[in-house]
Amino acid sequence: MKKTGFWVLAAIVAMVYGLSFNVMAEEGLTGTEIHIGQWGPQTGPAAPWGAVARGTGDYFKWINAQGGIHGRKIVYHMFDDAYNPAKTMAGVKELQEGTGIFAWACGVGTSPGLAVRDYIRERKIPWVGPATGSSHWITPPDRNLFAVYPLYYIEAKALVRLGVEEMGFKRVAIAYLNDDYGKNGLEAARKELIAHGKKLVAKVPVELKDQDMKPHVMKLRQSKADMVLLWVGPVHAARLVGTAKAMKFAPQFMSTSTCSDFPLMMHITKGLFQGVITASFAEMPDSDLPLMQKYKKEVYEKFAAKDERWGVFYYAGILFVEPLVEALKKAGRDLTREKLIFELEKLKGFRGIGGELSYDIYNPKNGYKSRGGMREIFLVQCMEGGKAKKLTDWMRIQYP
Amino acid sequence: MLDFMQMIASGIAVGSTYALMGIAMVIIYKTSEVPNFAQGEMALISSFFAFMLLDQYGLPYHLAFAAALIFSILLGFFLEFSILRRAKEPNVLGLIVITIGIEMILLGLVSWKFGADPKSMPFPISPWESFAIGNVFVSQLEMLTLVVALIIMVILFVFLRYSKLGVAMKATQQNHIAARIMGIRTNRIMMITWGISSFVGCVAGLLIAPTTMQPFMMWDPLLKGFAAAVMGGMTSLPGAVVAAYLLGIIENLFGGYVSIEFKSAVAFAIIVLVLCIKPSGLFARHYIKKV
Amino acid sequence: MDMKRHYYEDVQLFTSGVIVFWFGAFIVFLALFPFVVKNYYVYVANYMAINVIVVIGLNLLVGYTGQISLGHAGFFAIGAYGTVVLMSKASFPFIVALPAAALVAALFGFLLGLPALRLEGPYLAIATLGFGLTITQIIGRIEFFGGRQGLHTPELTIGPWHLDTDIDFYYLLITLTVLLAVAARNLIKTRVGRAFIAIRDADIAAETMGVNLVMYKTLAFAVSAFYAGIAGGLYAFVLRFIEPEIFTLLMSIMFLAMVIVGGLGSIMGSIAGACLLSWMDLQLRNILSIPYVGLWLEALSQSYFSITGISNIQYIVFGLILVLIMLFEPLGIFGIWIRTKKYWKTWPF
Repeated sequence: MKKTGFWVLAAIVAMVYGLSFNVMAEEGLTGTEIHIGQWGPQTGPAAPWGAVARGTGDYFKWINAQGGIHGRKIVYHMFDDAYNPAKTMAGVKELQEGTGIFAWACGVGTSPGLAVRDYIRERKIPWVGPATGSSHWITPPDRNLFAVYPLYYIEAKALVRLGVEEMGFKRVAIAYLNDDYGKNGLEAARKELIAHGKKLVAKVPVELKDQDMKPHVMKLRQSKADMVLLWVGPVHAARLVGTAKAMKFAPQFMSTSTCSDFPLMMHITKGLFQGVITASFAEMPDSDLPLMQKYKKEVYEKFAAKDERWGVFYYAGILFVEPLVEALKKAGRDLTREKLIFELEKLKGFRGIGGELSYDIYNPKNGYKSRGGMREIFLVQCMEGGKAKKLTDWMRIQYP
Repeated sequence: MLDFMQMIASGIAVGSTYALMGIAMVIIYKTSEVPNFAQGEMALISSFFAFMLLDQYGLPYHLAFAAALIFSILLGFFLEFSILRRAKEPNVLGLIVITIGIEMILLGLVSWKFGADPKSMPFPISPWESFAIGNVFVSQLEMLTLVVALIIMVILFVFLRYSKLGVAMKATQQNHIAARIMGIRTNRIMMITWGISSFVGCVAGLLIAPTTMQPFMMWDPLLKGFAAAVMGGMTSLPGAVVAAYLLGIIENLFGGYVSIEFKSAVAFAIIVLVLCIKPSGLFARHYIKKV
Repeated sequence: MDMKRHYYEDVQLFTSGVIVFWFGAFIVFLALFPFVVKNYYVYVANYMAINVIVVIGLNLLVGYTGQISLGHAGFFAIGAYGTVVLMSKASFPFIVALPAAALVAALFGFLLGLPALRLEGPYLAIATLGFGLTITQIIGRIEFFGGRQGLHTPELTIGPWHLDTDIDFYYLLITLTVLLAVAARNLIKTRVGRAFIAIRDADIAAETMGVNLVMYKTLAFAVSAFYAGIAGGLYAFVLRFIEPEIFTLLMSIMFLAMVIVGGLGSIMGSIAGACLLSWMDLQLRNILSIPYVGLWLEALSQSYFSITGISNIQYIVFGLILVLIMLFEPLGIFGIWIRTKKYWKTWPF
């Protein structure tokens, strides 16, 4: 009772304040606009991931076309940081101190995100859905930072379980990109195998700049692995699968959600990706889920640039901000940052085009429960023509 | 032993692309003393040109590749004529910055036109089908690359040594002014040099592109090619080729037996060692500077 | 007019009162700068200042000693990692950790200077390039340094002074930058600097004149690496987070480009070159929000190029600016400055 009273009072105060002075009630927020920012590499080697930021933008355009959120339009500020943390920092500061940003959405990349994390935390700005599954975001958690992307960790666990328990593979090897992403996967795979009384038979690091995959495939072949985890980006995965084909090495390849864009993978491997199993945190491009169809028809076909592809990265940009939009809707007309965080914390069992997602009251000791976001993934296999076959339904994996 | 043979074979296979890029670098360096950082991007834009013709205009392979090769020669002519020749009182470092600038422009153009998504160029030979020699596998594309690299090397070697143009190029390199006095149009020679170099680079690009193509695909071959060229002496074509194959083999052996993580880095360590022993590379005569 | 009548005129730091005045004015400007601009520009200034430090150091090597280095990102990384590791793992105070890390970088510079005794031109370029690539690999390999997952920087305090805003950090940075710039200028005017220049102009001649090549070439590398190390240590605190992939080859190439665009063998040129290119590096991403031009570029992309790749225009513009500067002014920005000065001196003739 007391609480409601407080909120009513707060709302009245906010309204009076808003009406009488018509100034910003909160940074980045006016009576008609909500300013939301995001960075995403549009140039440089990481540019394929830039589609995430464009997807978010088109989604916001669609929301605005429908009348916005409680009479406010979303003003979306996206900038290119070329995956260079110094530039991310520059852009975030410029937007935050220039225009004023109400909340930050997604943000591609672990190291750009980590560079601006302190800055955003100190100003208590809500930040929803960094576009990587690194465990950095929740260990330790920040009160203002809500992760969405399921941890790479649970992807690795799910894949290993499927391979070892159900498909009966004996010798598991991993090729991992030598960075935070790869190391997360390596660690989880190692732990999960130990739980099954096994060890990784080969751990092959792939450097970002490596192009010739023969030495890597030879290492894998020497280990006589019958299942190989590919914890790398799409191009390296394609090269590894192809080189394995050329060296007559044919284990079961498994890969992460990063490589779950099957049409793309089939195109760049010239059809060799068929049969590869990946984890996925979002519905597949050809999914018949009504919401997915709706996004494709109404967001992608109406608002996307003509050379945009309906791929995983693109609609992941929608997926990562779904909780943000949901919370903004629930927070109502008298929006504040605190209220947004309050509404985000109240989200339980929310489901958009990804897995089920819940947050909880901020708890520094349990980042996974309070800020971990999506906890479900499913496994798919790439079939002929880039079609996907679901191997499992949405599944929940314990962490840690 | 089998693994060893496979590593040698893989080393030779990857060495071929290094060799082509190395040759391209050497040709320009020989006449103008500029390490051309734009080499990779010149090859990139030519191979994307071929990709565009194949993918958007549906040209048959032979036409598209021929067009790309011609395009690359014209590009080389154009860059030399319109940019490098215009440099006022050029010095080597200034020219290096110009090539860096050209590199950025070309890279920007390609990424602007084609976006960042990885692509795969249609190609008559599959990059992932292989010949087995015993139990050693070499992919068809690598075999083709090897053959092409050797043919280009031989042709260029003969051309530079025996043709009139080749001799003129050599003269230009040795002494610009004397060559001019002898009636050689050094400007035109420079332009032709850039054309040839761009052509060789384009061949390398076209042979790399069938695996996967993306705007940054030429960085690694360029660096390794540059490294090989330096190790071979920077002015010697056979030197660059031999060094490129050595580099490829060393990389593979090191990756196989010691550490795969430092595979790329070891190439540079070895080069530094080689250079400490022979400061002008393996195959170039040491040039003694007079004061 | 410019005749020097006395040895001390050649070595003095400020050649005339006018220069002292402008130097003073510049310092006052720097001190007041954070009060008149938005905080964001203070960050930009910090970023520029860090590049200025590296570039001055690199110019000592490239412009004054005539060597080349494509591996300065390596020294930069050593400085950054050294400072952060010494502070967070060995709990050194910042004022000790920063110079200590820079000295480690200088040691590596000295080691890299040894092969440089026999190498020049592209050979040296490849050797240094290899160093730059290898060092980040090695750092990434060592788990103690955070491996590939990177390191967070600790809180920054100097004695009682707690630096937690950009403005605080700005004053620290600017002080160090001015000190290091003056030190570099001073160094050039000493025996060591003249030895560097002699080596650049003709190393064999220098040797016959009694310049110890071994000592001065390695010293040039060490000093240059020291500057890069200091800058790297400061850069870690600008980002507050470091990981090996930040220190790329592109960064080394950019440093070299800054030196050359600024003007070889000129401290003022280095400052100008570093400021110009780092400003472009940060600001060109806004090119599409320029009125009219942005719309026109978008229309152009729509019909001939691709919208998804439109941000790459910034690379094209960057490249064009590099090419144009070098085409029309081989001496870089410093050359433009000299020409303008000459023009006004002789005006109206």
